Amino acid sequence: MNRPVASEASSREPHRLGPLQTIDVTMRRFAERDEVDFLIVGCGSAGGVLLQRLARAGFHVIALEAGPFWDTARDWVSDESGSHELYWEDPRVTGGKNPLALGSNNCGKGVGGGSVHWAAFTPRLHPSDFEVYTRDGVGTDWPINYDIIRPYYEQLELEMPVAGPAYYPWGHPHGYAYGPHPMGGAGNALIKGCTALGIPVSIGGPVAILSGSHGDRPHCIYRGFCLQGCKVGAKASTLITHVPDALHSGAEIRDQSMAARVELGDNGRVTGVHYFDRNGKSRFQRAKAVIIAGYSIETPRLLLNSACKGFENGLANSSDTVGRYLMAQGGNVILGRFEQPVRMYKAPPAHALTEEFYETNPKNDFARGFAIQTVGPLPIAFGKQMVSAKRAWGWGLRREMMDYNHWASFGLLAEILPWAENRVTLAEERDRFGLPVAHVSFNLHDNDKKLIDAAKNKTMQVMQAASATEVVQEARYAHLVGAARMGHDPRTSVVDKFGRAHDIANLFICDGSILPTQGSANPGLTIQALAARTADYLISQGQSTFTSNERDMTEPSLRRELAPPGTYGRGVPRIA
Amino acid sequence: MKLFQRQLERRGQESKGTYPDDAPDSALLPRDAATGEPIEPTPHPGYYPGYSTLSQRAYWDNATRETVRMRVDQPPPIRYFTEEQAAFWRAVFDHLIPQHDRTAERRIPIVEPLDARLYENRGVGYRYESMPQDREVFRLGEEAINAEARQQFAGEFLHLPQHQQDLVLQTLHDGRPQAAEEIWKQMSIGRFWQMLMQDALEAYYAHPWAWDEIGFGGPAYPRAYTRLERGEPEPWEVEEQRYEWLAPDYTVSDLTEATHHLHLESDQNEPGPKSK
Repeated sequence: MNRPVASEASSREPHRLGPLQTIDVTMRRFAERDEVDFLIVGCGSAGGVLLQRLARAGFHVIALEAGPFWDTARDWVSDESGSHELYWEDPRVTGGKNPLALGSNNCGKGVGGGSVHWAAFTPRLHPSDFEVYTRDGVGTDWPINYDIIRPYYEQLELEMPVAGPAYYPWGHPHGYAYGPHPMGGAGNALIKGCTALGIPVSIGGPVAILSGSHGDRPHCIYRGFCLQGCKVGAKASTLITHVPDALHSGAEIRDQSMAARVELGDNGRVTGVHYFDRNGKSRFQRAKAVIIAGYSIETPRLLLNSACKGFENGLANSSDTVGRYLMAQGGNVILGRFEQPVRMYKAPPAHALTEEFYETNPKNDFARGFAIQTVGPLPIAFGKQMVSAKRAWGWGLRREMMDYNHWASFGLLAEILPWAENRVTLAEERDRFGLPVAHVSFNLHDNDKKLIDAAKNKTMQVMQAASATEVVQEARYAHLVGAARMGHDPRTSVVDKFGRAHDIANLFICDGSILPTQGSANPGLTIQALAARTADYLISQGQSTFTSNERDMTEPSLRRELAPPGTYGRGVPRIA
Repeated sequence: MKLFQRQLERRGQESKGTYPDDAPDSALLPRDAATGEPIEPTPHPGYYPGYSTLSQRAYWDNATRETVRMRVDQPPPIRYFTEEQAAFWRAVFDHLIPQHDRTAERRIPIVEPLDARLYENRGVGYRYESMPQDREVFRLGEEAINAEARQQFAGEFLHLPQHQQDLVLQTLHDGRPQAAEEIWKQMSIGRFWQMLMQDALEAYYAHPWAWDEIGFGGPAYPRAYTRLERGEPEPWEVEEQRYEWLAPDYTVSDLTEATHHLHLESDQNEPGPKSK
């Protein structure tokens, strides 16, 4: 694979991001001997937002990205089997009693990261999510509350932007500035089933997909390939929402560059990152501060691979918390067969949901709750579901698949609590760079199992109430968060409430790995909101981040003027 | 004409070494539910006669068109498996996703994409700790399937009649092997079965002929889908025309078993004795 980068491409064909948008700027290049202000490892959901904000504020900033810098017209296809390059498919080992599938299930690679292949559901966390331990005596509390993240939710909902209903009733009620999407077959089934059972349902979002054209991005065309990368440019990814403005503001993206080790200097501060460039050559980039944004597997892996004198168990790991408290959500898919054809793939997989069961219900024998959402598996994914849900093979499988157009499917998101032994460690196996690969171990506890079972049964009831003649279920997991959590206490967390490592003053972590708990919401919006807040904090700290070991814990103010042009609107509707 | 077609087709089958000579041809075919008569092989099985996703390729984007064209016109050559191994796995995959109802020129390659994956040593981003490396999985898998065939029917898998081959594979599907105890200590039989099925699905349902069979709309950029509700076809799609059919006589694979009482992924996909 030898993809031209933006600056090289400018002399040939334009670097295209969808049918309207091009990158029409020559990318700035820093030299290795330049000590840049911020070096970000990973240009995904968080990294893309950080890069844009910090560059716009005038900092010298580079993002290292292990995967390619996509030209979406050239590199992406409307094809399920042809989209594997979007996923992190380098070797990893997964185990424990309830091992997690990785790869296409939850891990992105390339500029935009997971936001390239997410379904783009963007619910906010609920206020209760920030104080799970205080309320329910399980999990842990966050070092911040809902009021602190709320302005960033509202801001990122405009920057993506998010389409959804005018009245969203759950958590902290709010509305969406962009109109909801029309219903596909799965959404209609969810509305019908929920309505029959008296369950409120959110119709047409919230989802970070354009329902109308917006700037240099066209509206959704309902072709259903969201998880294969949106060639249309209607579904938000940081590749198209933040990266172009970052380059305009003088940021550099060094793609196909795999971080190997963060270097610690004699003064206890990090000095830069060793990485392998696109030719496999080992290099070192100096930086005044480093931000790791590699998500819940690669972030702890990099810290563990950066073990050094003084940090023998992994960099910034004096708490022995790096890699621990990894979470996924129960993501069981409930499939219903209908007499009449449904053709569920014609719509974004994400277009309707209910959070009616999100909060702890004292009548349950478990804490916390779940959400029910539409999903829209393409044929290969649907086939895998039939293999698990019906033990189908051979002629039985062929028969089920011939009925593909008759099925609708819902996915549940069931909150799994953070447990110390659910963790990322290093395996003995090494990757092509000679770096130890991640070993992921995952076990469910009693609360998790009861919650998933109840959520599965409720979702099956909804599907039955929608008049499905047959209802089956595939057990699986969705998303990843945790493994480098934030907290007040340096003995039990890796970073403080701004993402700054407790152990090292100029090392930051900013991605899904810092989430202490996860609720039953898709994590993408929260990850980007936290990135915008960390960027505001870093900007508020000015040069002191680069020179001082002092920790200023003052909340920054939201800097709307740093948003990408054209996304600074009047805000989102507040209805409560 | 039809007879000539059939002869051509049988020659194709035999040359692939897939079908033992003693297997009666009609026993491999699905049957009409009303008459019980075998349904002649067709280029286009399924409920959407006349529907062709490829006929719409002028409306696809270039990159997608090229990806799908390569898949149809230039399936990768066998480079990783030996000829014997390729024949063995063809016979296995002919049971996991049987294609006897397709005319020979319309069968979808499954072993070729798998061979390419193993040749390039390409994984899917994770390996279960209860499993060896993928190449080793297929080496041990062949050994275990042959051991099972010998245990149950006193012969190598490739030389068993279709019905007995099906029964051997059903044992693995059920997670209840009678042989190769040592191998199943090294790899989880449930995860092994899952990998086989995933490789089969990744190949078969990636193919536009399979999209035609199941009525999937296929690529739709830049044109879009417009009929989102009520499952109705686009102007270029066709209405469903169902017919009732029975699975061929030889097979035991037509039965399905709902597993919704299993709400945990590991319970659902590792039904057999756990290797670890």
